Amino acid sequence: MAFGGGGFSMERGNTLLDDYVLSLTGKARPRVCFLPTASGDADHYIVRFYRAFEAGRCEPSHVSLFRREQSAGDVHEQLLTSDLVYVGGGSVVSLLGTWRAHGLDVTLRRAWESGVVLCGLSAGSLCWFAEAVTAFHGPPQAIAGLGLLPWSNCVHFDADPERCRAYRTMLAAGMAEGYAVEDGAALHFEGERLTRVVSSRPGARAYRMRRTGGRVSRRPLPADYLGATPAVVRAA
Amino acid sequence: MASESERRRIVAMGGGGFSCPPGDPALDRYVLEAARAPHPRVCLLPTAGGDAEEQIRRFYAAFRHLPCEPTHLSLFRLGSEPVDVRAVLLGQDVLYVGGGSLLNLLAVWRAHGVDAILREAWERGIVMCGISAGSMCWFDAGVTTSFGAPRPVRGLGLLPGSNSVHYDAEPARRPCFHEAIRTEAVPPGWAVDDGVGLLFAGRELVEAVSARRGAGAYWVEEAQGQAVETALKPRALPGREELELPTPLSIVEWREARMRRR
Repeated sequence: MAFGGGGFSMERGNTLLDDYVLSLTGKARPRVCFLPTASGDADHYIVRFYRAFEAGRCEPSHVSLFRREQSAGDVHEQLLTSDLVYVGGGSVVSLLGTWRAHGLDVTLRRAWESGVVLCGLSAGSLCWFAEAVTAFHGPPQAIAGLGLLPWSNCVHFDADPERCRAYRTMLAAGMAEGYAVEDGAALHFEGERLTRVVSSRPGARAYRMRRTGGRVSRRPLPADYLGATPAVVRAA
Repeated sequence: MASESERRRIVAMGGGGFSCPPGDPALDRYVLEAARAPHPRVCLLPTAGGDAEEQIRRFYAAFRHLPCEPTHLSLFRLGSEPVDVRAVLLGQDVLYVGGGSLLNLLAVWRAHGVDAILREAWERGIVMCGISAGSMCWFDAGVTTSFGAPRPVRGLGLLPGSNSVHYDAEPARRPCFHEAIRTEAVPPGWAVDDGVGLLFAGRELVEAVSARRGAGAYWVEEAQGQAVETALKPRALPGREELELPTPLSIVEWREARMRRR
């Protein structure tokens, strides 16, 4: 599951995307492990995770790679035995650097292969793809992600026109074809295949980005709004 | 005219400092003096702590009252404005690296290309300094607890030898450091207590200074299959009591004027 932006981090009081990822585990009380690495394990972010994923409906835990000496047990084991790994937002470059130093890139691939649901927003979405567009410190730049999904990804597509233009330029220059996602929309992949687009906001969209010849084309993907009847979606 | 190598300065501190209340204000001042600028620009790199807000807050609390211009650079949190990382770092007089996870610090710097910028900054004569992970990162090797148990790890290698910190406060690091030196897993190096700083010019140790009574530093090397410690004699810096001076009015006024200009 790759959110363009949304979930408890960005949508106060809107639990639609978070409810959806919990349902994908097929468990009544799934074990959910939060990875706040991209934020530098920010305390307030971890607190908000535990508030959103309260113990009533799941078994929440988190892995801190900045205070690992204080954590009990093996972090790799903790991830592999989770039903859902939820990756928070922040800097994707910092995220990938830290994960690789701790060997989490390998562990997350193993978790994915063994059926653990992986999800995240923003940096936590970009990380799963072969290539991604980040605009963390300034102008958008292309980076290599973990490559579980052989596509490219660009998030916050609605919020930042400069990022949108940069993504098109990178695609034209040979970046892997992929998906652009607006805040509130999320891509649901099974294996490497996109099976569904869902949204927590009526009208939030995702796009399939293709290159044919030298031209980049953008095809809107219909998103299932998770919160209301189709009639309301049309009205919006 | 200072030679090329003398221009390059690093202050490596074993622990304490601004991030650890009640702080070691003498070390903060020592670092500013190393900059040899009347009103140095000091930038905190809080990367090793994941840009922890508490560390950033304490940095400003300590340096706001000193004759300098404090700022910080985050590699995790989105700012409201784009930041040219290279320009910010090379525009400073002092780069101050906070403590935390040495492993994560180096990994994140490398991912952002900050390691190369820091080497350039050092070569240009910008004073590099840091505490704990922010000290060990400058050497060939350090001892990290980033995985849990202490373990040797490679640093940036601006300084020769190895470095172990919190030598008095975290006794578990000592056997690990000794073992790594004894088995030549890391080169010989310096073990440093909290409150103590080592000043390097180029790749040479100039002096050890201490802001805490009884705190020390040691040269640790291998001899006949053993790790052998030789105590350095740190120069005592003024204690907290001697430094409890109010901020001069001129600095307060200057700062207020600056704030208004922003």
